[in-house]
Amino acid sequence: MSGGIARGRLAEERKAWRKNHPHGFVAKPETATDGSINLMAWHCTIPGKQGTDWEGGFFPITLHFSEDYPSKPPKCKFPQGFFHPNVYPSGTVCLSILNEDSGWRPAITVKQILIGIQDLLDQPNPADPAQTDGYHLFIQEPAEYKRRVRQQAKQYPPLV
Amino acid sequence: MESEDDMHDANDVESLDDFYSGDAAASDDDERDFDFAKSDDSDDETFHPQRNYTILSEDDIRQLQEEDITKISTVLSIPRIQASILLRHYNWSVSKVHDAWFADEESVRKAVGLLEKPVVDPKLNAVEVTCGICFETYPRYRMGAASCGHPFCCSCWTGYISTSINDGPGCLMLRCPKPSCGAAVGQDMINTLASDEDKQKYSRYLLRSYIEDNKKTKWCPAPGCEYAVDFVMGSASFDVCCNCSYNFCWNCTEEAHRPVDCSTVAMWILKNSAESENMNWILANSKPCPKCKRPIEKNQGCMHITCTPPCKFEFCWLCLGAWSDHGERTGGFYACNRYETAKQEGAYDEAERRREMAKNSLERYTHYYERWATNQSSRQKALSDLQKMQTEHLEKLSNMQSTPESQLKFITDAWLQIVECRRVLKWTYAYGYYLPEIEHAKRQFFEYLQGEAESGLERLHQCAEKELQVFLDAVGPSKDFNEFRTKLAGLTSVTRNYFENLVRALENGLSDVDTHGTCSRTHSSKSSGSKSKGGRGKGATSRYESTQWSCRHCTFVNVRPNTECEVCRQRRQNASATITFRL
Repeated sequence: MSGGIARGRLAEERKAWRKNHPHGFVAKPETATDGSINLMAWHCTIPGKQGTDWEGGFFPITLHFSEDYPSKPPKCKFPQGFFHPNVYPSGTVCLSILNEDSGWRPAITVKQILIGIQDLLDQPNPADPAQTDGYHLFIQEPAEYKRRVRQQAKQYPPLV
Repeated sequence: MESEDDMHDANDVESLDDFYSGDAAASDDDERDFDFAKSDDSDDETFHPQRNYTILSEDDIRQLQEEDITKISTVLSIPRIQASILLRHYNWSVSKVHDAWFADEESVRKAVGLLEKPVVDPKLNAVEVTCGICFETYPRYRMGAASCGHPFCCSCWTGYISTSINDGPGCLMLRCPKPSCGAAVGQDMINTLASDEDKQKYSRYLLRSYIEDNKKTKWCPAPGCEYAVDFVMGSASFDVCCNCSYNFCWNCTEEAHRPVDCSTVAMWILKNSAESENMNWILANSKPCPKCKRPIEKNQGCMHITCTPPCKFEFCWLCLGAWSDHGERTGGFYACNRYETAKQEGAYDEAERRREMAKNSLERYTHYYERWATNQSSRQKALSDLQKMQTEHLEKLSNMQSTPESQLKFITDAWLQIVECRRVLKWTYAYGYYLPEIEHAKRQFFEYLQGEAESGLERLHQCAEKELQVFLDAVGPSKDFNEFRTKLAGLTSVTRNYFENLVRALENGLSDVDTHGTCSRTHSSKSSGSKSKGGRGKGATSRYESTQWSCRHCTFVNVRPNTECEVCRQRRQNASATITFRL
């Protein structure tokens, strides 16, 4: 896809998001200190789902888009060391729809990505572990895993 | 010529008696074909396929692919594009497509992404539609969609397709860009939306997929060769000769390696490339620094060793103790009293023995490898000689001896035989390397057979090279030429037979040795001969026999009471378990 459409598409996504977005979610392009907007990096917040151990947490995630977007998926990063079986130690999320070799389709929107990651939080994929800590606890010590998840949710209270 | 025929006949009778196997029958067939080429003899044997494989050119492949698509398209009553998608999904197996489709058409359609009707009804859509990729709004007619009807603008389609094609053969499984929609994107859409370059790439991937995804076809592994091979599964021999003249094994796609089996070849090739020999060399020729443990080779100088920085440890090469404890009183720079005393007490035996054994094992490997490599290069030389013969010498010879070139085929045959024999001989060295030390009688017999093969081949090579030269250098027709023809043709035939028997004997794991009673007639005289000669070993092997064994895995030579290898800790295989050369 010609490099030109990344910004146009992101501007449209931003417009669509402002009109309507799922409750509790935040998604906005980065603002530099001089007030200019960088459409290629979005700071977002994903709320933990109600009724799960993740409830109460508002997890910050950054979406880095390349000029190839939407041919190529954005890179989605939680803070470094985020506790989850499918999050790399660097914070990068490992999710099928974000993999350019398999699940990514150019019609997937930012909204769909964020909802997809929210689903992943409480439904990790043990077939595709990305960190040892989270994976081992998830498989071997469910009680300790739950405790760590709840503890992490408390670490990320609502921003207001 | 008569004597040659006699020889053939005699050999044929014998080989038929002894081994009524596929190869014997085949060589018999050749003979018949040669003798009765024009007769209408409808013998059963003439229907036996000469080859169990077909070489396919690019045009052949396209044609076969088109035929398969037509078959599916007709039987299933679906468009050709859909038939192509379906076949690709089932690895180009027509029967698998039939089975799956007729068992459950609906689920096949779903899995493959062949929708019967669009999920989005185009009539319900407004005149203007928003593209799901760039979010721009376009009139309906400027949008494209796969069978599902999800509309995207043409430039986004082009980009989507191009990205996918440039990402590799995965583009053959392309689906609608809408997430969760499984509708397949076929070649028709590629052809209307992609650039010429991308279209070409796509069609190339499609062709490759027909060969690579199909279980019964493979590309010829020779570099630059464009042919593919269609192999009849379950055939006795894996050897394939491509139209580019490269011989390879269908099973492992290494070069043809009869009489050695694929797993031995894999082991041998791994060994040739592996670090294990470097390790053995290091073990045999160096000692580790007592402080930092880096290996040190002592190639000159006195016993006072100073390790290289950053270690800089100074020590005695003999006893490996610190040099600060040494000096005049311990024997000076070239001797070490501590070492001598300790050696007498037996303190160094273990390490010395290990070094000695590593050295032996390395020598043994080098012995076989050198001969293997020499035959390999002889074969290359013979191949180029053959080419030179065909392009230059034959014509010259034909003029000089006033003989038609067709009558000089015996020279080409001789060279082809030499090339083949070099190949076989080469692999017998890998065979010999893995023949267990403990199989004393087999080793002796094998080495005898190998020795005979070598000298027979030398005779043939000599005749085809040196004796032919005389006629090439001559100025006019020579009356000796007919004699030469008889001799070379005879040698070719004798050598061919000997090597065919050799290959069979080795493939049978030299079973003759164990069962003297049923010993085959061709070998009986030779094998008894080898027994009487007894000592005709190839030197390098005899000293490993009774008290040591060589690890099958890493080839380290271990001492007899050990049951596992000192180096790689693999268990020693007992003799009966190791003679599994034949698959």
